[in-house]
Amino acid sequence: MKEIPIEVPVEPPKELESLFLPIPKEYVEEVYKKDEFLILVGPQHPGSGHMRLIVRVKGDIIQEVIPDPGYVHRSMEKLAENRLYIQNIPLVERPAIMDSANLNLGYVRAIESALDLEVPERAKYLRTILAELCRIGTHLYDAAILAVFLGHTTGFMYPFGIRELICEALVRMTGVRFTSSFIIPGGIRRDVDKATLDWLYSATFAIEKRLKSFERIFIRNPTVIARLKDVGVLSKQEAIEFGVVGPFLRASGVEYDVRKVEPYEAYDNVDWEIVVADEGDSYSRFLVRVNEVAQSLRIIRQCIADLPQGRVINEQICDSPEIRGEFFDRLADLVLPLGEFTTLTEAARGSVIYTLVSDGESNVTYRLRIVTPGWLYLRGFMESLKGERLADLQAIYGSFGYFPPEADR
Amino acid sequence: MIAMFDLVMQILKSNQIEIPLIQPVVDSLIEIPVLNALVALILWRPFFAVVVMPGLLVLMIYLLYIIWFERKLTARIQWRVGPLEIARPLRGAIQALADGLRYFFQEAIVHKEAHRPYFIQLPILAFIPVLLPIAFIPAGNVVGIKTPYAIQLIVAFISLIPITIVAIGWASNSRFAFVGSVREALMYVAYEIPFIIAVISMIFLYGSGDPYVVIEKQWIPGAFLNPLAFLVFLIAMLMATSRLPFEIPEADQEIAFGPFVEYSGILFGLVMVLAYEKLYVMALLFTILFLGGWSGPQIALLGDLNAPIWLVIKTLVAISIIAIVRSMYARYRIDQALRMGFSWFLALSVLALVIGAFIGMVI
Repeated sequence: MKEIPIEVPVEPPKELESLFLPIPKEYVEEVYKKDEFLILVGPQHPGSGHMRLIVRVKGDIIQEVIPDPGYVHRSMEKLAENRLYIQNIPLVERPAIMDSANLNLGYVRAIESALDLEVPERAKYLRTILAELCRIGTHLYDAAILAVFLGHTTGFMYPFGIRELICEALVRMTGVRFTSSFIIPGGIRRDVDKATLDWLYSATFAIEKRLKSFERIFIRNPTVIARLKDVGVLSKQEAIEFGVVGPFLRASGVEYDVRKVEPYEAYDNVDWEIVVADEGDSYSRFLVRVNEVAQSLRIIRQCIADLPQGRVINEQICDSPEIRGEFFDRLADLVLPLGEFTTLTEAARGSVIYTLVSDGESNVTYRLRIVTPGWLYLRGFMESLKGERLADLQAIYGSFGYFPPEADR
Repeated sequence: MIAMFDLVMQILKSNQIEIPLIQPVVDSLIEIPVLNALVALILWRPFFAVVVMPGLLVLMIYLLYIIWFERKLTARIQWRVGPLEIARPLRGAIQALADGLRYFFQEAIVHKEAHRPYFIQLPILAFIPVLLPIAFIPAGNVVGIKTPYAIQLIVAFISLIPITIVAIGWASNSRFAFVGSVREALMYVAYEIPFIIAVISMIFLYGSGDPYVVIEKQWIPGAFLNPLAFLVFLIAMLMATSRLPFEIPEADQEIAFGPFVEYSGILFGLVMVLAYEKLYVMALLFTILFLGGWSGPQIALLGDLNAPIWLVIKTLVAISIIAIVRSMYARYRIDQALRMGFSWFLALSVLALVIGAFIGMVI
């Protein structure tokens, strides 16, 4: 189609100067000289999280999106430098509270690798169960957000209804709905009794049954497929180049999962598969996570069935079978040896990296580096928006499950 | 003065609605000097049709009912309870009234960039095309303005409504309102043509735009006579009242209620019920064209009231069924909806026209 340029003298709106946009003035002028338009989506917009997206549109087609993150930056890395090692456990869970066990696990594993602590087998299995429960919870939460971004309120309510079962399971196991700080260096806080595990085993079937009705109303819904199919496509090459991680990388056809590549906890003892899709569009990004929920349920069932007997905390940390009542006595004066310790963990939205730098003498971290998956796939998310329609912004946003508190840390 | 009063009373009394059930009460009230004028006015056929039933009073009750029912139904489907706390014995039935009161006492902000006169006027002006069709919708003997072109007139007024919504978006002078108005205008083109063709096919079928002829000719409901037109009208109704899956102009996650983004307070309350009122008018037309209108078992005691009651009941049932789609579908994209509107939706309506013309010749 041939374009006919029209010379219309357009002044960039005044308010764009006073909004502290992270773009130069010349950029705004350049946009307004062409027949383009800047739309600021967020931070107070029902279709954006706690972030601003500066969307440059031509007609209905998105030309470029510049993210303006940082509205929920909580300086976790700096806060972590002033606290005891164990006091950081509740802190590092906070970036994504639905995914607390995975974030908790990564940090604790960094401490364990520094101290060369062996974790008892039973604790490893229980940690795996916790991590997978949180993974299911996060995937359900993201599915709900995707649904409400598409205007499908039933698809919003169902996953939250199902997530109540996950929360109930976490309550029975750890005592709180999320951010339980249950995983500690050397094991877990308490043992979980058989009645709870039996309940959890039957709850996995209840979740599966409810997921069926979610599938009928949302996943197989023709309107949902029409909105998500072939939208926001990231090819395999692009996904690797932009450093996309987790289920979103797997949706582009890359078979990479930290749980398989560098197995930790009980992941090499249970039988499960990496979920991969080839299309790399929004629908496959969503489907990969739906299927991961099924895999997680499978892992949980196997873990409960094969759960070994024994201690849940290392003898070096604590002599008694549980650390209850002596947590601070045992762990408050933890001092790590000199060095730098990095762990890679597969959180629900992708790999989370913890790097713990210790000076070898103080009981606080010298430096804690957290790289959360949200921050890693932000580039891929922005690139996949190019060339799509304005209405697709929310569909792609939801398909990535981008969670600003997690990315901003 | 008194002569004029007598003349007015004579005019009113000459065209009174007859309800045997309340006739004794009316007879006793008509003796009382001042009240008799009021009673005579209310029972005057045109006034009764426009203001009481199926007009404004029923419209108000319908608004209370449909907002509550829609929320309650959606809640049932979504494993929730829905509105409950306001009037607990009635299961939260007057929730919409409470919301309306809240809107009424809320500050209505008019932002600096808005075109102030239009911004304030248009929500009220928008009611003219919404409410005028009610004057032409008959219910048996109860009719406001009797004309053989009633259906054409109703369609013409319905077609005027989106213009006021586009104007509302334009007067708001905001980015999202602008995008919303453009979407509304595009959707208007997409559904209006098939909608009008569907109505024309029914007029061909019945051979007249007179509701009385339409009802007379429906020996079985019109939906069976021309199922395609029925389908087209149903989808056009969803598109026209921007309900899911075509809630595109007001997509709250994308453009934050589109044309109505800048409204607050009672002005927002007014624009919010606009789509519901449009749905009511369209559903009345739908009932007349496809569901046999006011025909139904007659109850002798109700007299003239039979027809309006049947019309309103059928309309409410139709709307209540339509309310289910809200919790079933996601929102289409504007280009998908337009493609749909101009391809198979238009083709379907043309096919309905052919069927309508054919059956119209046969019967």
